[in-house]
Amino acid sequence: MATNAIQSEPVRIDFCDELLSSSKLFQSRSRSHKIPVRGQKEFLPNDSERQKARLQKILDEHWTTVTEERVERVGNLVNAEWIPEKKIVTLQSRAGKFWQTMGFSDGGKQCLYPEEALYLMECGNVQVFYQDLPLSIQEGYESFLSAETVTYLQYQVFGHLKRLGYVVNRYNNRLCNKKSTASSEVSTGRHTGENKTNVQYSSLNYPGQIYRQIFQGKIPRSEPDSDGAPGRHWWTNITSKPQPDLFQPSVRCWDFSCIIFPDLGSHGADSACLPPPDPSLLPGALQVQECHMAHWCRNIDLQQEHSSKQTHSQNGRLCNINDDRMVHQCKNWDEYLKLVEERKSQQHNNRPTHLWKKEVLPLAYSRKCSSNRFYFILYDFCLLPPRLPDPEQWRIDFNLYQPDPEFKKSNPGKPSTRLCVCSFDGVVPDLRALQQLSFQSGDVPMTFAVVDHGDISFYSFKDFKLPTDVY
Amino acid sequence: MDWNATEPVSSDCVDGRNESDEEKTDHQAVNITLCGSAPLLWRAADIRKCREEFGVVGNLVGSLARQPRQNVRLGRPLEILQEETRLLVETGKATALRHQELSTENKESRLKAVELYKARLEQSYEEQRALALEEKKAVLQRVMDEKQNDHEGNDGAEQAVRERLECLEKSFLFPRSALAVQLCTARAGFSHSPEEHAFLTADWPMPRDKRAETRFRVYKDLRRKGFYLTAAGKFGGDYLVYPGDPLRFHAHFIALCLPMEETLPVYDLLVIARLGSNVKKTVLLCSPWETSDDEKETEGKVVYSSLQWSGIV
Repeated sequence: MATNAIQSEPVRIDFCDELLSSSKLFQSRSRSHKIPVRGQKEFLPNDSERQKARLQKILDEHWTTVTEERVERVGNLVNAEWIPEKKIVTLQSRAGKFWQTMGFSDGGKQCLYPEEALYLMECGNVQVFYQDLPLSIQEGYESFLSAETVTYLQYQVFGHLKRLGYVVNRYNNRLCNKKSTASSEVSTGRHTGENKTNVQYSSLNYPGQIYRQIFQGKIPRSEPDSDGAPGRHWWTNITSKPQPDLFQPSVRCWDFSCIIFPDLGSHGADSACLPPPDPSLLPGALQVQECHMAHWCRNIDLQQEHSSKQTHSQNGRLCNINDDRMVHQCKNWDEYLKLVEERKSQQHNNRPTHLWKKEVLPLAYSRKCSSNRFYFILYDFCLLPPRLPDPEQWRIDFNLYQPDPEFKKSNPGKPSTRLCVCSFDGVVPDLRALQQLSFQSGDVPMTFAVVDHGDISFYSFKDFKLPTDVY
Repeated sequence: MDWNATEPVSSDCVDGRNESDEEKTDHQAVNITLCGSAPLLWRAADIRKCREEFGVVGNLVGSLARQPRQNVRLGRPLEILQEETRLLVETGKATALRHQELSTENKESRLKAVELYKARLEQSYEEQRALALEEKKAVLQRVMDEKQNDHEGNDGAEQAVRERLECLEKSFLFPRSALAVQLCTARAGFSHSPEEHAFLTADWPMPRDKRAETRFRVYKDLRRKGFYLTAAGKFGGDYLVYPGDPLRFHAHFIALCLPMEETLPVYDLLVIARLGSNVKKTVLLCSPWETSDDEKETEGKVVYSSLQWSGIV
């Protein structure tokens, strides 16, 4: 017990050391803001007096700058309060210049994300209180940074880029679903023809979800179809098939059964001409003639199509899914999954009930064992991790914008890059993760910020297409 | 209560911990707090002590107080390596603290703290006001003296200054907004009671796999030889090895920790050797001897092989 009595004493002294007296506070208004320069480094220590003196001088300067505490005038500080339940910081006095690029409004209150508040604390712009006591920077790090908000690693990257003057926003504004705050726009043009889709990222967690939402018809069309033309044709002479009731789309949903794209690839398309597009879909006085396909067909590489067809017919079981009438009747992804589930349970019903209807079940059933048997058995028993990588492991963390005096939070424009934060201790993202992220990022480049004990390096992977001669 | 009992790591502690270390258990232990898995030092005194006494350099990761919006020179906190943390904790020079919840105190002590804070603020205001007044007086006094010396005859101006000086005491205004306050960097360290301290002493989430063990043993050996070490991720190695304080000296080696029995593909070897020669550093392959429990004497020994990129002339 004696050691402890001594222990608590020195801690108290340290505490006094770091708290400045009034005169120190007063003096600090005239203190230097220069950063001392350190000259060239040397190669070998040789115990010379000159070397020692230089080291001492630099060390002294180093300790001066490291020990220095932040001192600000009350008038220059914005007061704020930490709300741990919501994981946000609300401002209690008028926001400063930082409001142009940071913060959001929630129910008429000006709020900051924890990482923004912490950065502004470090800059000496904001003083954050919790239960009427100001938080130190340390408390800020310890309370604000967590897996639910922004991790320590992510904050390091955030702070680094903010200090360089960039505008950095969360990619996925999870904490606030207000439309007033910057909503990201993603173009899924690559996958859905020419349609652009606005997706509120707040509602999405990972890219897989976006497909699912498309399948379920949840994504609103970007153009409101006020004309009430649910099944308009892109090409005039193709009549739409009478729609079975099952396919009747809900009000805001694409109906792919009516949007018909010309099939240039298959040889079955005997007509050498493509009919002109529906003039009502064309702007102004644009006249489009019939399009002769022969010229184009020559340029299409049909080899891949052939080979894939061959493989399909070889293991017919796979491609039969689309011929299956039951599958056809499924309106969306959910129903399909339900169908698969039902079929599975039907198979289960074929099993001897005395084995499968009781509390204790066999380790595996025979069919499952036929392929990859050990893996699946072990996987079923959670002895092995699932093979698919966790989709949450790699995700985009921040949007980065160039510093711009005209920047608007409500309309940030296209980010100059998106960032994914990772660590030198972690694994390198595989090609799948890279592709997934770059797809998610759309036409904005992806940058990987890799943190190694405070050192941050930025890497990006560039897609490169070998140029081919079309003509 | 014995300090060792509060450190879960030291009880099952491994190699190289000798008796003298145990005796040296310092009462002024350095406080290491964990932020995520990163060990951070917050108090300037701790950071200084670590560098000067234990050769722990680390990496400053916060904004610099005097010029926060730049990345050239950073400020507190200091992030240190896992190996450094483990060594400091095992030798009793530091205690690792789990980070604290914000409101651990009860309501009453919280109220008391708020009162104390407000009283301090008020007192600071009064004191700063007095200081500002003094300063202003001194300025006026100087002006008056100058006027006296320069123009002996100009009584009017001197009189005006004198009047201003006299009524300064009453009319002096020190606005609240001019009050300078400190934004603390380290937790305003109301000292923990020993019980609290013991409670907060972190259960060390140290990765204890093969790799961590190899790194730790290499770290310990190189430190014992008097080198300064920092992280070398950007050089593709485990540590950068400096002959003196990294503030003044270039690193000589890139240390790569490699268990004795592990094979390294020749590609990797070429890559790291090439890199080393490009940055004018020597690559060190560091492999600790395998130890079994009864071989105490070989424990801690590390075999170093350096790679030199050379051509035949």
